Amino acid sequence: MAGTGEIQALLKLNAALPFGADRAHMLVRKCGSAGKVLELSAADLFTEFGFTLDAAEKTVRLMREFDADAEMGLAVKNGIRIIASGDPDYPRQLAAIYDPPLVLYVKGCSADFSMPAVSIVGTRHPSPYGLRMTAEIASGLAEKGIAVASGLARGIDSAAHKAVTEAGGVTWAALGTGLMKIYPPENRSLSEKIIECGGALVSEYPLMQTARPASFPRRNRIISGLSYGVLVIEGTFKSGSLITARCALEQGREVMALPGLADNEKAQGPNYLIKNGACLVENTEDIMACLPAEAVKKKISENSRRAAKKRAALSLSPEASDIYDAIQKEEGGLTPDELALRTGQSVPAVSAALFELEVEGFVCQVAGRYVIKQRI
Amino acid sequence: MLAKISTLALRGIEGCFVSTEVFISAGLPSYSVVGLPDASVKEARDRVMAAIRSSGFKVPPKRITVNLAPAEKKKTGTHFDLPIALGLIAAAEDSGAVLSEKLTNTVFLGELALDGSIRPVAGVLPMLVSLRNSGFRAVVPEQNAAEAALSGVPCFMASSLAQVVSWLKNEQQLVECVRSSFIPGHSSDLDFADVKGQNFAKRAMEIAAAGFHNILLVGPPGAGKSMLARRFGGLLPPMTEDEALETTKIYSVSGLVGSGRLVSQRPFREPHHTISDAALIGGGSNPRPGEVSLAHNGVLFLDEFPEFSRAAIECLREPLESWKVTVSRVRESVVYPARFILVAAMNPCPCGYLGHPVRECLCSPLQISRYRARVSGPILDRIDIHVKLAPMRYEDWEAAPCGEKTENIAARVLKAIEIQRRRYGASGAAASNAFMTAHDMRLYCSLPSGASNVLETAMNRLGFSARSLDKILRVARTIADLEGSAEIKKQHIMEAVQYRIMDKNDYGGI
Repeated sequence: MAGTGEIQALLKLNAALPFGADRAHMLVRKCGSAGKVLELSAADLFTEFGFTLDAAEKTVRLMREFDADAEMGLAVKNGIRIIASGDPDYPRQLAAIYDPPLVLYVKGCSADFSMPAVSIVGTRHPSPYGLRMTAEIASGLAEKGIAVASGLARGIDSAAHKAVTEAGGVTWAALGTGLMKIYPPENRSLSEKIIECGGALVSEYPLMQTARPASFPRRNRIISGLSYGVLVIEGTFKSGSLITARCALEQGREVMALPGLADNEKAQGPNYLIKNGACLVENTEDIMACLPAEAVKKKISENSRRAAKKRAALSLSPEASDIYDAIQKEEGGLTPDELALRTGQSVPAVSAALFELEVEGFVCQVAGRYVIKQRI
Repeated sequence: MLAKISTLALRGIEGCFVSTEVFISAGLPSYSVVGLPDASVKEARDRVMAAIRSSGFKVPPKRITVNLAPAEKKKTGTHFDLPIALGLIAAAEDSGAVLSEKLTNTVFLGELALDGSIRPVAGVLPMLVSLRNSGFRAVVPEQNAAEAALSGVPCFMASSLAQVVSWLKNEQQLVECVRSSFIPGHSSDLDFADVKGQNFAKRAMEIAAAGFHNILLVGPPGAGKSMLARRFGGLLPPMTEDEALETTKIYSVSGLVGSGRLVSQRPFREPHHTISDAALIGGGSNPRPGEVSLAHNGVLFLDEFPEFSRAAIECLREPLESWKVTVSRVRESVVYPARFILVAAMNPCPCGYLGHPVRECLCSPLQISRYRARVSGPILDRIDIHVKLAPMRYEDWEAAPCGEKTENIAARVLKAIEIQRRRYGASGAAASNAFMTAHDMRLYCSLPSGASNVLETAMNRLGFSARSLDKILRVARTIADLEGSAEIKKQHIMEAVQYRIMDKNDYGGI
């Protein structure tokens, strides 16, 4: 276990090389300890370690300027743990990757990183189908005692975290910013929920670092690194979700994907992965089948939640069932007006039916359109 | 050398007596007005002097004092010209020949032109209404005759100063103003049948009209928000005579009663979103009614609601809560009635395309929540019905049958309103479900057990507040009235819940 001085040195090094965990590791290995790295001059870095002159000077300057004492004080005050790589508390899965974060900031005191985990990632602009399947699969994983890792971004990430917290499960969010600068800001309350439910927020960036474009792709390796496999829900070719999938491949983790409609741009990513051998996932069982045996210790129990839904579905009025069927046929969702036209029901009747469905949680409204929230 | 002439002044939309005292004394020629006159009253001097000479009378070159009593109240308006002129003539004629018995029980209103003719003035109706049963009669400008007749006070019309003087000298008769009979007008000749589809919004408007509920339309540009709002007036029942009189009083104060007829159509006011809070709510150093009062007994349509200034939106709280506006100034405070249906329209997000089937919305969640936060919770709470409009897809637009005609919907609305009038034992807009007191609600909104279960579920699972429940009950009461049902049933509550979209826990997905 590293002493306080060593941790301070690691923090300085980590702050000086925000996008070069592999280099930082190399420096520590060659010098013997982070404390020794601090003693290096710019000339040493240039001649012995292959830094360019600019980078060497910048690194030395940043190491000197970073106030590690203040950082540690801030962390203590806010209940944030700083775990150095090599520490026994450091997540074992994450330690096994090629360039694990030099130090990991963790918020959430009861977090247990020895749990088996699956990552769920996807687009920031999901379709109702993507949201629905994310919620279904994430809450299914939560019930089976599997942690869900994701990135706290808008869209699929938030949906996954939210579904797990609602099911009372454990979820970990790897941030692309410092833990004191949660981004996007509207997810602050979600992040508190995550911690309440025994999950954790993790980041490798200094506490006060704000959002930078380059930091988000880098944190994707942490998302995949924390888990046994990555499930890609929706995303285009260029999306960050595919970066996470690539990280997973490099780290030797399972890559899974949810199939989408061929003409949906956001299905390009997952469908491409499936074509290239990713595991096709339709439900939680498919994920369990992909995971290594040690991850699935618990025997799968009967899903009581679904049974309750089935019972609720049976008590729906015939009008509500008609409305449900009509909504199910239209992927983009339907407005109340369109529902009235398609089912031939009167406006008051459609209103009453929508109320029934909404209260039971079968449908929800997304920007004026009713979409399926949970399948019957 | 003293003459006293009665006239009136305005306090808000009420009139009050003012005595115009003119005193001519020996001394250097001068003219002064006392009794807190404003610029328009001070300027009367030049008009009055010219008009008197043009009419063939003389003003002695002496010291003239005009006092407008009670002296501590501010006087404003040009209608003091005529009484001041009469006072001057009466005080100048030594014998007091003009001081006939007619002066003692007559009030005079009118602005003078330089040639001695009398011009119309603002506020005649509200001022005269206060004269009812006082035994007084009035002389008013010819162009205000029709308006004056509505007051129910005996009125005579005059077109020139000379005419009035000869009437006072009993040399000539003035024509008495005759009251025309009241014919309620139709508010809007636009028809709901022009709007295809949007049946939910139309239904919501039907409910709003039937219960005098405020309504908020949320939808992307082009969905038909303004089109529907402009047709809304057509659903409201014709004005009763009392309502027309009240509204006309406000219009008269603002000088907007053009033809001198009662405002017989329900007003539809549509101020632009750059309006100042004073113009919206009423105000100014000489208080004048704002748009909310001009919409009294009618519709106030605020398009692009979040674009109105925060101050202007928050100003709406008082009229939405107490149906009147109190404008307080250091010297006085006046009350204008403001009972209107607020029809507000807004986009779902700053760019307008959130939830659009084709165009992508580029707003971040933070931008959207900021945009919506411009319409604060307290204001949203006072709007009973929220309805979302979606743009139509072409196939639906093509397939949609022509909408129902306004008159058919209005007939249903009228039936529901008659039920409410019987229930609350009042007439006009005051007898509406939107204005139920807590006591009324206990009496008329009791729920059968099935319906109260629905309400409980709504509160627990959809996250409604207690205040939302109150609104849901009112709207459900109106829905039941539209159906002619004496008690609120389960499906009425279920429908009413759909009109509280802005209250739900989560209003836009993730």
